[in-house]
Amino acid sequence: MKTLILGFDSFDPNVFEELAGRNQLPNLEKLSQGGRYSRLEVSSPPQTEVSWTSIATGMDPGGHGIFDFVHRDPATYTPYVSILPMRKSAVGEQFTPPYTTTTFFEAAADMGYPATALWWPAMFPARPQLPVMTLPGLGTPDIRGQLGVGTFFSSEEETKEKTTVVKLVAIGKNRYEAELSGPQTQSREGPRTLRLPIKVDVIDQTNARVTIDTQQVEVTLGEWTDILELRFKAGMLFNIYAITRFIAVSLQGVVRIYALPLQIHPLHSTWHYSSSNSFSKKLWKEVGPYLTLGWPQDTTGLGDGCITDDQFLDLCQKIFDRRIQILSYLLKDFQEGVLASIFDDLDRVQHMFFHNRMDIVHDWYQRLDRFVGDINSQLEGWTGKYRYLILSDHGFSEFRKKVHLNRWLLEHGYLCMKNDGNDLSSVDWSKTTAYAVGLNSIYLNIMTREGQGIVSAQNVENLLDEIKSKLLDWKDSDQTPVIQKIRLKHETYSGPYTRFGPDLVVGYAPGYRASADTGLGKVPAISMEPNTDHWGADHCVDSDVVPGVIFANRDLRDFGTISFRDIPFLAIGKHLDPSNIKPPSQAPGQGQKDLEERLKGLGYL
Amino acid sequence: MNRLFSRSNNKDSKKQPIVIVSGLPRSGTSMMMRMLAEGGLPVVTDELRRPDSDNPKGYFEFETVRQMSEGNVSWLADSGGKAVKVISALLEYLPSTYSYKIIFLERDVQEILASQRKMLLNRKEAEMGDETEIAAQIQKHLSAMKPWLVRQPNIEVLYVNYNTLIAKPQPVCAQVIEFLDLPLNQTRMLAVPDKLLYRNRIAREK
Repeated sequence: MKTLILGFDSFDPNVFEELAGRNQLPNLEKLSQGGRYSRLEVSSPPQTEVSWTSIATGMDPGGHGIFDFVHRDPATYTPYVSILPMRKSAVGEQFTPPYTTTTFFEAAADMGYPATALWWPAMFPARPQLPVMTLPGLGTPDIRGQLGVGTFFSSEEETKEKTTVVKLVAIGKNRYEAELSGPQTQSREGPRTLRLPIKVDVIDQTNARVTIDTQQVEVTLGEWTDILELRFKAGMLFNIYAITRFIAVSLQGVVRIYALPLQIHPLHSTWHYSSSNSFSKKLWKEVGPYLTLGWPQDTTGLGDGCITDDQFLDLCQKIFDRRIQILSYLLKDFQEGVLASIFDDLDRVQHMFFHNRMDIVHDWYQRLDRFVGDINSQLEGWTGKYRYLILSDHGFSEFRKKVHLNRWLLEHGYLCMKNDGNDLSSVDWSKTTAYAVGLNSIYLNIMTREGQGIVSAQNVENLLDEIKSKLLDWKDSDQTPVIQKIRLKHETYSGPYTRFGPDLVVGYAPGYRASADTGLGKVPAISMEPNTDHWGADHCVDSDVVPGVIFANRDLRDFGTISFRDIPFLAIGKHLDPSNIKPPSQAPGQGQKDLEERLKGLGYL
Repeated sequence: MNRLFSRSNNKDSKKQPIVIVSGLPRSGTSMMMRMLAEGGLPVVTDELRRPDSDNPKGYFEFETVRQMSEGNVSWLADSGGKAVKVISALLEYLPSTYSYKIIFLERDVQEILASQRKMLLNRKEAEMGDETEIAAQIQKHLSAMKPWLVRQPNIEVLYVNYNTLIAKPQPVCAQVIEFLDLPLNQTRMLAVPDKLLYRNRIAREK
């Protein structure tokens, strides 16, 4: 067995077909001939972590348990991050794998073949007991255990919506100092944030010298530094290491310097970052430093105005280039097994530019096409049978209106607040029959399942039908339907995790998406508002709206409709056995504030 | 890295796959069986069904195949490296414990119906009924077969068009030999397709 898989996150069939029709994607177009291209049916909801996990397992969320970015603890209604669950143990709180269902990587390893997954979502923390080499993707936290926000240093008082702002204090002519906050440790007095002193010497309008602790770095206006290795002293013999990049945003007048979220250092990780542990170290040493955050393309920094469009795109390109180098390094010695690599820069670019700069988006499709051309050239030297797949987890759509679903539920009498609060902690559960948490999920407040449930079992079906019907009737002011499809849990999912899933999966129509507030279980004052964010496009709509793509080095026409369920078979020639899925247990939730802190770096919420 | 390879050694079964010739009745399966037999591939047949005017060169059938739907599949244990005829409706009963190479004959549905009509006439049996409905059922069956077959990990399929086989046997024959990856006698195989037996052709536009 020899299988190469390239995962192009968010690669959209409509854009591909349009550009291929204009001969602008020659390598992919050539690959697609002879029935070797198809649209891919993706799982519901079409969220990145849900979809890639469904692809890896060949199961819908009922088979692996990831239903949405945010789940809730039914006993307490507390939301928690599905891709970064924690569990208390004898040695304190620890990250636990978001799912345990067998992937085709494990199945390949079980057959005796090496298997490697690069930047695949929901694979943090690494499972060292499994014989699969992994570098994790989406869901990998920063050094603080969050999904990552950067630090914005400014010589003026400024505020940003999500980014941490630190004042650069003048200590001389063109000389400033500040502190960079790092990870937290536990001390006798409680949690303690470790910090490094920062000094900035502005040399001229385009150059500055940044001294971080004892390390000096020359920064040029508008250019990212190399990846910097930082050391936070946590005790006499204990250091915590992190990596980041700096960029000087402004050196004339107001001095502004931005640092990417502090990320896990592969050479010194205190968590199980990769599997094997030496795998990530070897790549770092042999290929070069690489960013490790699950969402390293800093959409939050861009959305907050910390960096410019060009600086963001330059960062994306740097990440893309290094990932190509890592894949190429592994391809040199790839003799057999499965090697899969996900490239998610396009997803980030589309979130920020799909709605108003299609020229940028098209340019990234062409970059991917050139990359495919390079890979195809390498494959010409391969002998014997092999499998080659290029696929995406979903397509893309506009995001013109933010939908506050809990407000709609409140306005229609399904949700009731007991005070002026605006989140689930202020809900009057004794009068609430349904609530929304996550980007596509509605739960009924079911008796015996929910902590303060009031909906009896015999009323569930009628209530589901009623809410479904009303949601499908929901029209915007111009009579555009807000919702395209509502899927009932038991019609959509199969497998032992189904009972934990949302009772209704909300499939938004193109142009509409749940607001970040809805994702967090909040109840704003209105049910819908225009989206004016830089994050102007999305894919968390109905799965029929945003199919993915698949290219293969075989004729796909006999398959009819190809779905995520077919990928394990296409990848390793074998269907995975669903009978060995372990009975699930619910992960405990975190507090609401903690949840928001953790999700800050994830642009969806 | 060593632990990767210590888990199991169940990579490649060296067992010979069972060669299945399949398709709808009257789609050329008997001719393909005869080609394989002439080429030197052992065939599984009981010859209970004798040649007749509809199939003057024999049916190459094995009666026990019909019992697969009742669970009788033990005979397949001895069929590795041999060819056996299984009509498409019975393919779903092939046990997943063996690997198969299926040569699936495709033929214009109207020609198949014409051939079946003639066969019934020769046997003085009842007429087929509403042919439009039967054609729709056949199309539905065939359109479900391909997606099912392509998803079976233990099955490889080569689709052979009956009309192409009759018109240009040489390239199709080469394709079959390559698919089976067996040293079959191509010259003898090529002597089998008989245009004279292609009697139920539908009128085509010129």
